[in-house]
Amino acid sequence: MFSDVMVNSTPSDIAVDIRSVTKKFGERTIFGDVSLQVRQGEVVALIGPSGAGKSTLIRCVNCLTPFESGSIMVLGHELHGTNEAKRGPSREMLKSIRTETGMVFQSFNLFPHMSVVDNVALAPVLVLGTSREEAREQARELLCSIGLSHRVDAYPRHLSGGEQQRVAICRALAMKPSLMLFDEPTSALDPELVGEVLGAIRALVDRGMTMMLVTHEMMFARDVADTVAVMADGALVEIGPARQVLDDPQTDRCKSFLSRVLQQKAPSANTSAPSMGAQIAADAPTQEHEQARDTDRKRKHAEEVER
Amino acid sequence: MNIGFDTSQMLHGAVLTVELAAGGVGVSLVLGALGGLARSRGPRWLRWLIVGYVELVRGLPQILQLFILYFGLTQFGINLSPFTAGFIWMCFYGTGYAIEIFRAGISGVHPGQLEASTALGLSRFQSFRRVVLPQAVARMVPPLTTFVILELKNTTLLYIIGVPEIMYHANLLASNSQPLNIYLIAVGFYLVMNMTLGRLGAYVEHKMSWAKS
Repeated sequence: MFSDVMVNSTPSDIAVDIRSVTKKFGERTIFGDVSLQVRQGEVVALIGPSGAGKSTLIRCVNCLTPFESGSIMVLGHELHGTNEAKRGPSREMLKSIRTETGMVFQSFNLFPHMSVVDNVALAPVLVLGTSREEAREQARELLCSIGLSHRVDAYPRHLSGGEQQRVAICRALAMKPSLMLFDEPTSALDPELVGEVLGAIRALVDRGMTMMLVTHEMMFARDVADTVAVMADGALVEIGPARQVLDDPQTDRCKSFLSRVLQQKAPSANTSAPSMGAQIAADAPTQEHEQARDTDRKRKHAEEVER
Repeated sequence: MNIGFDTSQMLHGAVLTVELAAGGVGVSLVLGALGGLARSRGPRWLRWLIVGYVELVRGLPQILQLFILYFGLTQFGINLSPFTAGFIWMCFYGTGYAIEIFRAGISGVHPGQLEASTALGLSRFQSFRRVVLPQAVARMVPPLTTFVILELKNTTLLYIIGVPEIMYHANLLASNSQPLNIYLIAVGFYLVMNMTLGRLGAYVEHKMSWAKS
């Protein structure tokens, strides 16, 4: 998959450098004083409860949202908080940042009035000046590499959620970005469709793509991310190597978040040790679990019907 | 066909009705598109100006608007012919409604669409032209069909100030003949015109069927 995705590299080793950034909506602080570095080729997963500011943080990186104070260096471009800079970033800089940064949204946001291939080919034509023919050819190749060759001429509304999200990934990759931002890419999907999208992301990780990934898929984060950053209550509460943070969280806030998330996944077992390692151990006899839960559900359903 | 009177007059009236409606709709759509765009994207003072204009159009009875234009302005020495006053009113009134249709169409496009195109590096103009506008127009087709039909029917009001459109001739003829027969002929004219417009709108809507999600 993605055999022809080229991962560009900029001179500096640091792809994204977020320095004490504060973001407010009106009076309300979304997050304050967050600092985070992403190296070239690094995959950073952002996890944490809803409303912690994870999505807003990656939106600040490609300037979809301005921030109040602090600064962000993205692929060599400097962004400053609105409180500190006299004027916002220039159009040219915004264009470079967004061209070199791909973004995938929770709700796909494909363009419904265009066929799949035109969704992917639009930006290369308009922004990079690629010829229409060439852009469509490249789009076809990308779509083929992700297993959507049969969907090239379909319209987005004819696609499943998983297919739509994979097209959205192709659309971002068509700009040959050196950084990918994923904003909860699987949260809007039916459980059975999550795998195909995670598979596409994993293929990109294997190609060495630099990534910031907001996700609720803890197992996936543990698997593919180099670094996990946990955000809660408007702050970065813990950051470190993925397995270390997920298996052996240090801060109380992070522990309580992980225990809640993991308990949801396995309601019956494993109440005392909420870490990821224990979770995996507990998950080993998965089929038994599933069956037990299934019969449980059927029994409850039968009772309801009787009533 | 001899039914006791000359229907050719009504045919002339129908031609005038279509001319007035087509002209009024044309001007209204152009001004409405600009106004709707300014209403959703323009500077604050311009937005308020447009809001005021729409309130004026929407809040006043049509006859009052028309009479102010035709009779009221004579006080300032502005004597408009019935046709001119009528046409200006059609544009004045139509623009107000068209602005609202365009504004609703633009604001109905999911904000994620603009985000996605912005994140891809498209300029504001490119995003609007290639992503937002096509979707807005598709959403506007049904209300625009209704709007065009409304404009066409509104031409009947102009008979009051003496514009010789269909109703004007129908009333003339009705006063010295059987009124119901005359009015039924007018019914025929309007139904043919408006059902044609309705079918046209449905056809365009069908052509943009990707918009149904």
